[in-house]
Amino acid sequence: MAVEKITEAGRARYWLGDMETDYIYTLGRAGEKFFRGLKEGKIVATRCRKCNLTYLPPRIYCEHCFSELDEWVELLDEGYIEAFTVLTVDADGNKLDPPEVIAFIAFDGVTGGLIHRIGEASPDEVYPGMMVKAVWKPPEERVGSINDIKYWKPAIE
Amino acid sequence: MKISKYPGTPLKEADIREKRVLTTFWRPKARYAWSAGVAITRFLEELKNGRLIGRKCSKCGRILVPPRMYCELCFKPTDEWVYVRDAGRVATYSISYLSADAKRLKEPIIVAVIDLDDTPPNVGILHKIGEVSKEDLPAWMRGEKFGVRVKAVWKPPEERVGSINDIKYWKPIEV
Repeated sequence: MAVEKITEAGRARYWLGDMETDYIYTLGRAGEKFFRGLKEGKIVATRCRKCNLTYLPPRIYCEHCFSELDEWVELLDEGYIEAFTVLTVDADGNKLDPPEVIAFIAFDGVTGGLIHRIGEASPDEVYPGMMVKAVWKPPEERVGSINDIKYWKPAIE
Repeated sequence: MKISKYPGTPLKEADIREKRVLTTFWRPKARYAWSAGVAITRFLEELKNGRLIGRKCSKCGRILVPPRMYCELCFKPTDEWVYVRDAGRVATYSISYLSADAKRLKEPIIVAVIDLDDTPPNVGILHKIGEVSKEDLPAWMRGEKFGVRVKAVWKPPEERVGSINDIKYWKPIEV
């Protein structure tokens, strides 16, 4: 005997649900200090004097000698583009118009860097090695988030 | 060895709630649509029409409500659709002071498995009992209401959407 089937998908009933899987994640000791720094308009990093390394984002332990780091330094909010990509869709797959440029921004003498948006430059104007400068939100709008920096703009006109 | 001091930074829920530490929040878009399948789709359509429908297995003779396209005892497809009456008896029940989403309730709800008149025992459907007066509740509490006759109380047709809640509840009836 043939088993009954639903051949038109629209005719099947279904249940809609929403999985509530919210999470709240704390930033850790180094992250806490780094993001509080952003709120004050500063980019802070940790330094290992022994290995002569500066870590950004800051780490609490040196990755080379494993010693605990408690020396904090403030960096200039100017770096250079080490690598970049042009996004035409956002994280949910929606079309981005105009496209957005995302770059890994490196800093002289610093191990690591920041991933952030590039603004005030079209995708074809951006190149690796380009000097960029942070464009901050006004102090009253900063909340201690990476978005306290709106984007990075070309440092040299 | 007893550890007297743990490494790390202890945090209390209040530290996060009162924003003494910075946090990052993420709500994934985890929407889903779960298909009701052939049998339950038809069952829900019929609820919208104000009727209960089951599937009959010709081998064991059982009528399954809610319907299933396979008989789990005979391991074969069920054979035909059968309408059944919306009346039965309370097979078992429970008095709950918690709602379906675990909120505390002042007035308890009675959740019951109902053996329908037209289905064999052990094919009961799960639903709520309603219209139980304050005077009657103690007898329910004492567990004296097994076997009580009940009848479905339906929502008016314009409010029915094709959901198990198209039946508001089942009310005890005098025999």
